[in-house]
Amino acid sequence: MSDWNELSDEAFRKEVRRFFETNYPQELRFLSRRLRWSECKPWYLTLSKQGWIAPAWPKEYGGMALSPAKQIIMVEETERCGIGRMPDQGITQVGPTIMRYGTQAQKQKYLQPIIDGEHVWCQGYSEPNSGSDLASLQTTAVREGDSWVINGSKIWTSMSMDASHMYILVRTDRNAPKKQEGISFMLLDMKTPGITIRPIRNIAGHEEFSQVFFDNVRTPAGALVGELNKGWTIAKALLGFERLGIGSPRRPRYAFTRLEKVARSRGLMDDPAFADRFVQLRLDLADLASLYGRYVEQVRRGETLGPDVSILKIWSMELNQRVSELLLEAAEEKSMYEGALDFDGEEVDVLAPFYMSRPGTIYGGSNEIQRNIVSKDVLRLPAK
Amino acid sequence: MVMPGIETTTGRADDRRMLAESVADFARRATDMARVRKWRGQSPGFDRGLWREMAALGWTGLLVPERFGGSGLGLTEMAVVSRGLARALTPEPLVACAVLAARTLVHCQNEALGAELLPRIADGKLIAALAWQEQAGDLGGGALATRCTQSAGEAVVNGSKRFVAGAAGADGFIVSAQGASGMQLLWVPANAAGVSLDLQPLADGRFSGLLAFKDAKLPQRHVLASGEVARAALDRAVDEATVMASAELLGVMSRALEMTLDYLRTRVQFGRTIGSFQALQHRAVDLFVQEQLSSAVLDDALAAIDERPDDPATAAQVSRAKARCSDAASLITRQAIQMHGAIGFTEDSDVGLYVKRALTLCAWLGNSAYHRRRFARLAPDDSE
Repeated sequence: MSDWNELSDEAFRKEVRRFFETNYPQELRFLSRRLRWSECKPWYLTLSKQGWIAPAWPKEYGGMALSPAKQIIMVEETERCGIGRMPDQGITQVGPTIMRYGTQAQKQKYLQPIIDGEHVWCQGYSEPNSGSDLASLQTTAVREGDSWVINGSKIWTSMSMDASHMYILVRTDRNAPKKQEGISFMLLDMKTPGITIRPIRNIAGHEEFSQVFFDNVRTPAGALVGELNKGWTIAKALLGFERLGIGSPRRPRYAFTRLEKVARSRGLMDDPAFADRFVQLRLDLADLASLYGRYVEQVRRGETLGPDVSILKIWSMELNQRVSELLLEAAEEKSMYEGALDFDGEEVDVLAPFYMSRPGTIYGGSNEIQRNIVSKDVLRLPAK
Repeated sequence: MVMPGIETTTGRADDRRMLAESVADFARRATDMARVRKWRGQSPGFDRGLWREMAALGWTGLLVPERFGGSGLGLTEMAVVSRGLARALTPEPLVACAVLAARTLVHCQNEALGAELLPRIADGKLIAALAWQEQAGDLGGGALATRCTQSAGEAVVNGSKRFVAGAAGADGFIVSAQGASGMQLLWVPANAAGVSLDLQPLADGRFSGLLAFKDAKLPQRHVLASGEVARAALDRAVDEATVMASAELLGVMSRALEMTLDYLRTRVQFGRTIGSFQALQHRAVDLFVQEQLSSAVLDDALAAIDERPDDPATAAQVSRAKARCSDAASLITRQAIQMHGAIGFTEDSDVGLYVKRALTLCAWLGNSAYHRRRFARLAPDDSE
């Protein structure tokens, strides 16, 4: 099939479902952690071989050029089948950025290896002293002859141990009148000398993120994407779609399935006080799906998402925490134990959803930052 | 009436926009807070002249089939009207008469009485109300104390009905009663012998009716429906009115939020507008999240009830909408008082009018706790 758009939505959904069900490994379904590249590379390559790895990309770069409606179908089927999140930054972030802002040479150098799974990308945004105030970042790139020389440090870099490349925001003008105006967007090979990775163990004990140090890292002049000092604009353009992804009902729905299992196993549904709180969360989740559907519909129509999409992230991630807290309560003494426990023949790790839910209100712009954005750009509340 | 393709949807969207504009225009021209205040506690609590104007605009007949002189449109269109009028706190009993009573008549499928009553509802000459409740918290499931017996070829009704919305000024009532073979719905003119009406003032200045029947004798042809048909007609009309009350709640909360945001933008304390304080900004965003959730859930409920009225899942969607809209309207109107400060607690402030309308709408047709329980009962386990 050269053009999947020719199929009806229903026929396409059926085909996607069949392919996912047949080919995605059982043992990697509905995992409560992120997949390492070594685990999910076979699936990445399977999708790549099928021609499905980049649904949104144009065909000339190896994508499916899929209609927005059918892209949504793929996302829905991915969630339905419990397919874990792969290192997808190359497909969702770097590729589209290079297509829009990159040079011909950059397109030739970087796009095909993403499709082929040869390059795995990570994001270099946050720094130890630039978290919520991202635009204050201090990692510098200084031009020396044909190279950029990078010094500084990035932190909370997810899956950097698996990444071959990093897209990075660096300060290229210290004297710009506004802090947002001296930032550039660059591409970096992680094998370049001078890069050190220090994995950081998270609260759940997993090494999913790290701090990355840059000590006179020399990268060719061709590393710059778009105009010099205009990197903030590129980064901002990437954030809206990220918030739609984070705001999907997927995470709280997963936690809710765990809650339901534990609650039924412990007979809590017969307790009216518990049942009322349970149904409240169930409604919160169903209502999130309605709100999410609205934004998906906007994307389906080809519209750009506005700053109001932040409310989806706020609601989804806080709901995820409410669900995981009720799960701890429902498990009572059993919430003291690390690892999976037996509930009526099914293994449930009651702490995993709790741990997983905590960073959700911090990453992708903390929920406090999201509220600042909505307050300023949607509700038009004054600065002073 | 169902036409395929996109034209229908965009055509409907355009129609709805025009309808919304005509409602907004009417609200600007024909009503204001002074009029709302004037009718508070003054029987019948609304203006019959304005009611006829609303009928001339087609709103009282919007849900009446074309063969009975209406326009046979959907709940989605009616929601545009209900929401727009509720924003202005219009006290006319549109949902009580043109939805709850009119739809019960439609669903009774009684051709003779339908042909007699529905055209007069559509043209604004007849105001009807549904009198079916006897106990607080019972929306139709419980046993009926009101009896209908047969005597000399006539139906004789004894008993009483509470919480009758739109009773003030009603020309007749649809009354549920226990007959020899199950429930019956009867048409009872307001001036029939043996019928007495007590008006009870509501918090928002409108009235609800306590209706008593003492050997009220009615011709047999006034029996609208019996048994399962009557039960189904009632259930469906109550669900439809519940969605409309949710739309009204959305109108009320949206306007209350706008008023509050306006106040935050203009009220100065400590030398700055209070809307520049982050504590209030973040609270305002949380109210906005609730309003947007309400709107998304309501849209889904409207789509369900218009497109899949017979689907058992639709009733669960209805409960979802009423639960969310009630809770959101409560939160937003309470916070409207708080953020207005002492002025929000005064009789002169319009904030109180919105608080009180929200109070009555939240409690009408099942409050949020009722609908959460109903949702838990109705929603299939794997829903959403």
